[in-house]
Amino acid sequence: MAVQAIWSGTISFSLVAIPVQLVKAIEPGRVSLHMLHSKDYSPLARRMYCPKEEVLVPPDEIIRGFEIGPGQYLPITDKELESVSPERSRTIEIVEFIDMKEVDPIYYDHPYYLVPSKGGEKAYRLLVEVMRRTNKAGLARFVLHEREYLVAVKSTEGALTLITLHYSEEILPDEDISPQEGKIEAEEKSRIKQSIKTMLADFNPVHYADERRKKIMDLLQRKAKEKAQVEAPVVEEEAGAGPPDLIAALEESMRQVKQNR
Amino acid sequence: MAGRTIWQGYIHFGDTDVPVKLHTAVKEDRIQFHLLHKRDRVKLHQQMICAYEKVPVPLEEQAKGFELEDRKYILVDPLELEQTEPESSRMIEIHEFVKTAQIDPIFLERVYYLEPDTLLKGYNALVEALQEMGVEGICTWTMRKRSYLGALQASGQILRLNTLRYADEVIPVKSLDLQKFSLSEKELKIGSDLIKQLTVPFQPEKFENEHQKKLQNLIDKKARGEKIAILRPRPMKRTAPDKLLQALEASLKKVA
Repeated sequence: MAVQAIWSGTISFSLVAIPVQLVKAIEPGRVSLHMLHSKDYSPLARRMYCPKEEVLVPPDEIIRGFEIGPGQYLPITDKELESVSPERSRTIEIVEFIDMKEVDPIYYDHPYYLVPSKGGEKAYRLLVEVMRRTNKAGLARFVLHEREYLVAVKSTEGALTLITLHYSEEILPDEDISPQEGKIEAEEKSRIKQSIKTMLADFNPVHYADERRKKIMDLLQRKAKEKAQVEAPVVEEEAGAGPPDLIAALEESMRQVKQNR
Repeated sequence: MAGRTIWQGYIHFGDTDVPVKLHTAVKEDRIQFHLLHKRDRVKLHQQMICAYEKVPVPLEEQAKGFELEDRKYILVDPLELEQTEPESSRMIEIHEFVKTAQIDPIFLERVYYLEPDTLLKGYNALVEALQEMGVEGICTWTMRKRSYLGALQASGQILRLNTLRYADEVIPVKSLDLQKFSLSEKELKIGSDLIKQLTVPFQPEKFENEHQKKLQNLIDKKARGEKIAILRPRPMKRTAPDKLLQALEASLKKVA
């Protein structure tokens, strides 16, 4: 299954440039419940709505704005945003390599995978392999929409993982909550160590599952047996082949509304 | 200063109980944008639209359903959902201890600082025990009606709780369908040498969020009515597969 790209561009180190795509590495594990209309059980779609004109707004009529006063916004176009750091919006330039062991986990924000685009497979494989051999990760900065990210790129099981990092100015100091220098009772410490020793294990994330999710799945299975199901009406636009494209359908209906005006 | 206290509880394992307060450890301060309607610059709202009737649907007409198959749903009541919420508890229960740095960073989610609550009971002893043994505690707890998985770590003088992602939330590398590609020993050798040459200690303070300042400048300029020069990124020329060795050699020469 092809994964959808969040971004596509180039990753470079020194004079080597590799075409890549950024894809997600995390799938939020919540049981996905759909929002439905209680009148007809039709699924609901989240859409942007203009409260002044009382109309739905298609993506090509949406712009970003910065609030300069109550209810007053300065519009900023995507092109202007890109002009802030034009190179970094297309290239993840690794400026140096580091040992991941030196990175305090407090810096980690969100992981993604990088996958090679056409023609980049060989150089991609090389970067994966040499980072694995040297046990090093690349540090880079790159811009996605209005934000610039400091990122670490590392080798994981034959793939490149990109982890966004917090800037050090975003890490709050902990001095104010540090404990007073207290006398540690040697007896207590050795008792704790004994306890830890009996509980040593290898980390295996598979051992832990979200209890809540299990409960929801149980509930759904129970209800499925009771045949407590409802059916949504067929949406006109999906009469043709292929899955219903709700957004396209809504855009089309918006175009019709505009033409009739 | 650490963030405000967001939760209070106690760490529990064996016959040890250590009362703690949770504080946020990271604060992002980034320029916020709103979504506007291009025509009239009015701030847009999100609205739920019925796919069938194409009308906005008010809150009292919204229901939740699980899709069994195409167009067939099981309706789930808010009360039924509430019953699946974990029971509230103040306990951070440690299930096992693992060697530090054993957890792949992909699982690490967010760090909270733990402040000793009221008594210092066991806090300092636990910090030292974890540090001397080089371990962290894998634990679970319930906070804000959600069950969390985390790693209890010692850092300097304090304890921290690093929340972990559940295993089935991480997309496996296998699903990326990456191809194998054979590389020459020479390419690998030069590539490795290049990386070693470019390796430095991790110094996060070196990296300021300059972009944020530049973005603020752009906003100020535009607010004064000045024209913004549009700069286009020059796409970087991609290294052709048969030019890889050449590019590596040239890179190594450059840094040596």
